[in-house]
Amino acid sequence: MGAARRTFAVVGWQARSFRRVWRGSITVSFLNPIFFLLSIGVLLGSLIDDSQPDLGGLSYVQFVAPALLATTAMQTAASVTTFPVRAGFKWLRTYHAAVSTPVRVPELVAGILTWCGIRVIMAVTIFAAIAAIGGAFVSPLAVLAPFAALLCGLAFGAALAAVTTSVDGDEWLAAVFRFGLVPLFLFSGTFFPISQLPAVLQALAWATPLWHGVALCRSLATGDVELGPSVVHVAYLVTLTAVGTLMTVRAQQRRLLR
Amino acid sequence: MAEPLIEARKLTKRYGEFVAVDGIEFTVARGETFGFLGPNGAGKSSTMRMIGAVSPASDGTLRVLGLDPDRDGPAIRQRLGVVPQEDNLDQELDVGENLQVYGRFFGLPRDEIRRRIDELLEFVQLSDRREARVDSLSGGMKRRLTIARALVNEPELILLDEPTTGLDPQARHALWDRLYRLKQRGVTLVLTTHYMDEAEQLCDRLVIMDRAKIVAEGSPRELIERFVEREVVELRFGEGDAAPSLDGLAGHVEVLQDRVVIGTDDGDMVVDALHARGLHPETILVRRATLEDVFLRLTGRRLID
Repeated sequence: MGAARRTFAVVGWQARSFRRVWRGSITVSFLNPIFFLLSIGVLLGSLIDDSQPDLGGLSYVQFVAPALLATTAMQTAASVTTFPVRAGFKWLRTYHAAVSTPVRVPELVAGILTWCGIRVIMAVTIFAAIAAIGGAFVSPLAVLAPFAALLCGLAFGAALAAVTTSVDGDEWLAAVFRFGLVPLFLFSGTFFPISQLPAVLQALAWATPLWHGVALCRSLATGDVELGPSVVHVAYLVTLTAVGTLMTVRAQQRRLLR
Repeated sequence: MAEPLIEARKLTKRYGEFVAVDGIEFTVARGETFGFLGPNGAGKSSTMRMIGAVSPASDGTLRVLGLDPDRDGPAIRQRLGVVPQEDNLDQELDVGENLQVYGRFFGLPRDEIRRRIDELLEFVQLSDRREARVDSLSGGMKRRLTIARALVNEPELILLDEPTTGLDPQARHALWDRLYRLKQRGVTLVLTTHYMDEAEQLCDRLVIMDRAKIVAEGSPRELIERFVEREVVELRFGEGDAAPSLDGLAGHVEVLQDRVVIGTDDGDMVVDALHARGLHPETILVRRATLEDVFLRLTGRRLID
């Protein structure tokens, strides 16, 4: 009982901070996805032939929109669990303050990742609503797509929190974005089907969490859901969330309880 | 006799090969103000973190509030107030919100915290800053806010790690005054410091730490009586002057880099004796012995270099 209450106290703390700084999150969580949807999905998409067999009968914007749902989840999660987490144990040391109270490290981490999930679901719901109004989703199953994106966001949130806590130099954090998130954003089947990639890169794409998030969101938005692949996607994302969470707890214990 | 609030036996903290705290033993009784005095790197902060149940001991036993920090960490921290060496307030929140958020970590109801915030801000003289952003506060105000934060759960024991380091003299005195009031209320305070005047002002009892070990223990007065003479004569000689022979002077002579310190029970007599030998140092200062002199005598070094 106490553990749940303390976890929610951490969530409440994060929410209170967010009330002060939410304006800074508009770009990553709201404007960028909409800009990509308009510029790539609608405007560039108008040049793309809808009868392309790889698009599976979708218009280009209908192909891109569900993927942007997953990338919005990834980027929102990254904005919650990279720099702010580093600040918490290192730059501002607010995590040290938290664990000098009855709050335990696992509760702290659970609270932060719960907050990450709340931020993700807020961002993807807004985006999904706008995309739906624009006719970018073809199946009623699309109402489930934000939850698929949430899974994707949690997986990234947990994994990035673990990396952020584990690496020693601050410069690694910028590298995570440059060499990790940006390539994932571009090559995980977001803007083109990964069947267009050479076989080696295709296999690599299958191994990345964003592709699973994209594939899951897309299958729901288009109504083309197959049980087998869906189970694999969900299992992959849930596993990454669990492993990332455990690794974050371990790494934060090393940082905070020396 | 009542059970001590803190009891350490052969308490040890190692970081890899490095021994930060080396088998120290001490007890702190309820209601007393207990200090760890020592230079930087003596092991004071490591000891505080072990008492605060955020750093597992490598060896030995530690009981805090009758509990084992390894097993009952959250239960101990529930009854503890912590003022860390480095400010770790949430810069994104205002003064009141910092206390509100912290109070929630202790599971206090919102209304109760709100009521306490009024009292606490009054106590640390920050009532008019309730809605101020933390980064707009001065160093002294931040430290007072940290103390208010440490009091939000009405702790039985407050740990203060170098509470006045980096503060100007006025802010230090304001802080001492607040700590003194807490002491009068019967709260047990444990603090670390490398300022001997702070230790003398606040501590009922203290241990002197050097290189991971406790080298002496007692009240400030006891320590001075036990280890040094009542008065100290400080001499400074001009640059290049030959070191004069001070053999046979009635006192304990310590030749330091920049001055000579003579411990004695009668400072004036030492000064007369110097003059009788025809010695004329550039400056002569006769003063009461302090804990700094105790530290110097015990370790051969000054507290702050």
